[in-house]
Amino acid sequence: MVLATHCVAVAGAVALAALGGMMPARAEEPVTLTVYGAGTLAVPFKELGAEFQKKYPNVTVEPQFGGSVMMAKRITELDQQADILAVADYSVIPAYLFAGSSGKPAHAQWYAGFARNAVTFVYTPKSKFAAEISADNWYQVLARPGVEIGRSNPDTDPSGYQTLQMLSLAESHYHVPGLAGRVIANAPRANMRDTETELIAALQLGQIDYLAIYRSDALQHHLEALKLPPQIDLSDPSFAGSYAAGVAQTKNGELKGKPIVYAVTIPSDALRPDWAEKFVAFLLGPEGQAAMSRNGFGSFSPAYAVNVEAMPAGLRDLVKPWPSS
Amino acid sequence: MNALALEVAGLSLRLGACCLRDVDLAAAGGEILVLLGPNGAGKSVFLETIAGFYRPDAGRIAIGGRDVTELPPEERRVGFLVQNFGLFPHRTVAQNVALGARSRQDESQVAALLRRFDIAHLAERRPLLLSPGEKQRAALARALASRPDLFLFDEPFAALDAQTHEALRDELALFLRQSGIPAVFVTHDHGDALALGDRLAVMAAGTIVQRGAAGEVFARPASRSVAHFLGVENILDGRIVANGGDGLLRVEVGSSVLSCRSPAPAQNGKVALAIRAGDVRLNGAAAPKANGADNVLAGRITALRTIGPLCKLTIDCGFPLTAYLLAREAQGLAPEARLDAAIAVEAVHVLPGGES
Amino acid sequence: MVESEIYEDGAAAALPRPSPSLMLVFWLLGSLLLALVLLPLISLIATPSLADLIKAARDSEVRNALWLSLAGAMLTALVAGIVGVPLAYLLSRSRFPGRGIVAAIVDIPMSVPHTVAGIALLMVFGRRGIIGAPAEALFGLRFWATLAGIVVAMLFVSAPYTVNAARLGFEAIDPRLEKVARTLGMGPWQVFLRITLPLAWRGVATGLTLTFARAISEFTAVAILVYYPMTAPVQIYELFLRFGLDTAAAVAVLLLVLALALFIVFRQVAYGRTAPLGPGR
Repeated sequence: MVLATHCVAVAGAVALAALGGMMPARAEEPVTLTVYGAGTLAVPFKELGAEFQKKYPNVTVEPQFGGSVMMAKRITELDQQADILAVADYSVIPAYLFAGSSGKPAHAQWYAGFARNAVTFVYTPKSKFAAEISADNWYQVLARPGVEIGRSNPDTDPSGYQTLQMLSLAESHYHVPGLAGRVIANAPRANMRDTETELIAALQLGQIDYLAIYRSDALQHHLEALKLPPQIDLSDPSFAGSYAAGVAQTKNGELKGKPIVYAVTIPSDALRPDWAEKFVAFLLGPEGQAAMSRNGFGSFSPAYAVNVEAMPAGLRDLVKPWPSS
Repeated sequence: MNALALEVAGLSLRLGACCLRDVDLAAAGGEILVLLGPNGAGKSVFLETIAGFYRPDAGRIAIGGRDVTELPPEERRVGFLVQNFGLFPHRTVAQNVALGARSRQDESQVAALLRRFDIAHLAERRPLLLSPGEKQRAALARALASRPDLFLFDEPFAALDAQTHEALRDELALFLRQSGIPAVFVTHDHGDALALGDRLAVMAAGTIVQRGAAGEVFARPASRSVAHFLGVENILDGRIVANGGDGLLRVEVGSSVLSCRSPAPAQNGKVALAIRAGDVRLNGAAAPKANGADNVLAGRITALRTIGPLCKLTIDCGFPLTAYLLAREAQGLAPEARLDAAIAVEAVHVLPGGES
Repeated sequence: MVESEIYEDGAAAALPRPSPSLMLVFWLLGSLLLALVLLPLISLIATPSLADLIKAARDSEVRNALWLSLAGAMLTALVAGIVGVPLAYLLSRSRFPGRGIVAAIVDIPMSVPHTVAGIALLMVFGRRGIIGAPAEALFGLRFWATLAGIVVAMLFVSAPYTVNAARLGFEAIDPRLEKVARTLGMGPWQVFLRITLPLAWRGVATGLTLTFARAISEFTAVAILVYYPMTAPVQIYELFLRFGLDTAAAVAVLLLVLALALFIVFRQVAYGRTAPLGPGR
């Protein structure tokens, strides 16, 4: 009698387990994706995260935003685990996460460029000479005495050194020697801030009149922006060769201009690489591209990638190799 | 010398829960005026108002003939001593005394004062390490250094044990008499009042309810509540049964009758009497020596209690009567023993206001 | 005459008959806190090598940042003393309407997020700010990119400590001592400077030390108003971004050592030489 009860119990348990195994367990289990992103990606990534969560209700996307270098170093120096890293300058990923000459272990093997941006100056109607400034006279207006220009730290932040590169390119583009120096004179170190939040706050409070930052910020924060020529604003990868002539002098040495390409990778110690892959696919696909262009970023169709063979198989079809130029 | 040391007229003040109402008080030169009253009567507030820490709503204060009502404390020339004497703990004794002198431009007096109060050997010591007696002397030296016209004492002995209390009180009395500086001394202790006070003022609920010479006040309290506060042991309710023409009254109390004098024409009917236990003379079973003017009552002991050298007895002589004997005199006495009590007619005090 | 007796105050301060079980539990709990503080500090101090420390100490940028932080924090403590101690005295002695509200206002900066504080300060002291603009126009005094701005931001976050500790110091003084002092002929200012303040000194000194400590460690609120010239926390962050943990930790350790040395000096100066005076009563 007792034996029979035991048999029924065991059989029941086996049946339940089998049923359980047959159910699509993966779709049910709750997943948390940690996404590290550059500050300027905050708005589009939050939108994208919400859309992704709608498509996959079991997933919670937890993004954190900060300076590109800071987010990279959290992974390399502070041993934090992120499933996805997206930076404002594609060169940050090989510089910090690839296996380096200093013998540091690699935290990533590949990256894909998925969005473009342009460096420009944003301003408000309250800014000095706001009514006058245009794409033709900006370098003269910005050099006027009393104009305060803000920028981020070129020693630590991509938009900081990209601004300097852009000004260097502008000098030769407009054939106005000394242009860069005169504009920089109105953007002393005293006007630098660490984060985008602080810079935008400074602009809105009138502490600075113009802010050197990305075009996407103008859209997101409802600010006016200058439309600079693509030859200088680092927005077009087809000008990559000439961009290299623009240089930024920083404490890290001389940095040559490169097109602004936002890049993404899945760090090697990601906790959920399977779901990270789905998110990156989402980002590189039509939904991601729509989110990026909605927020003022330029797009890549398809995305460029470096070290395609190191990428997860599911992503390889979405990219093409980075054109060498 | 003609000016009053202190003259307070019509002082009224509302301070939180405390209220002084139309207070009049005067102290003559060289006099110690004791201000006696229960806690919460407003004595400290009154004293501090004299010192200048509160602005009265109405009234006038004059010290040594000077009108000080509008003056700040530092210009009133008073010496103020508080509980635990208020020496500055972060300064030595010499420095404390000097702080009193400096404001009067008299630094050379510091050494002389220390010698006078016999604390020169304590000059470099901190107040924390002094005994209460030494603290008192230092505080007096300091106050004296500022040459006050009036001393104000706010219950300085309140936190001391009985023996130290008495010793310090004697020292203080001696000092005040020698210096001749008038003083107002606030206390709730009867012993202080009797030992120190030339004159006494009793304060209750923000007003002066009685004033006069110390012995007078204790012998003839102005009301039932004052009598109660002064610790009069026997407060009795009685009924007038006979009214002699010359103010001699016969009052029925319990089942006995007492004779007493009342200067004011007595109202007929109820009256309250006060008899201090110290005025009750007891004898054994033998009849006490009676003067014609004594009330003599036969009684029976209902309770005995030995308190130190004294024995406090409660005797039923038609009403409960409290009296004292020396403990050695009370040996052999027990409840139910018969005892006679004699009370001088003058010692039976009629409390004005009858029932109040 | 009364015999001179020595009253020992030391006895009163000692724990009466400590119970072993009480002490054990309290030490266990207390050591948790000590561990929480010590472990991160020790791992921080262990991170940089001696070579890193020397290199950091030699760097003139690092030295400038450390000096700026120290100078800023010292000035902040000074200003906090000048404006905070009088307020503490009023709060402790004066019964004015709205006293509770004023006390609450003093505490508010402690619960304001640092980013918010920084932006709010920028609003007021920045180029277009209600104080910043006239200050520059009338006196040429700028609060951005200057030591003045650093002090303002540091003061905002650290002033409450001075006020609160000084207030406790004043409240511990028996008001009768001040009254006695007045009757001796001292005016209100003399009483405050010669009697009240010296007796409250321990509370005031504690407050100033806490203010200094809080000021020197403030990052965000300072950085929003004054990013450049860089205070030590801002410099440390920049070094972390540019180089990495070891370099940043080296400067952090230098800052820690300096701050610690200063605390020890402060405590010695403030409390060391005087024996306990006992309460003011």
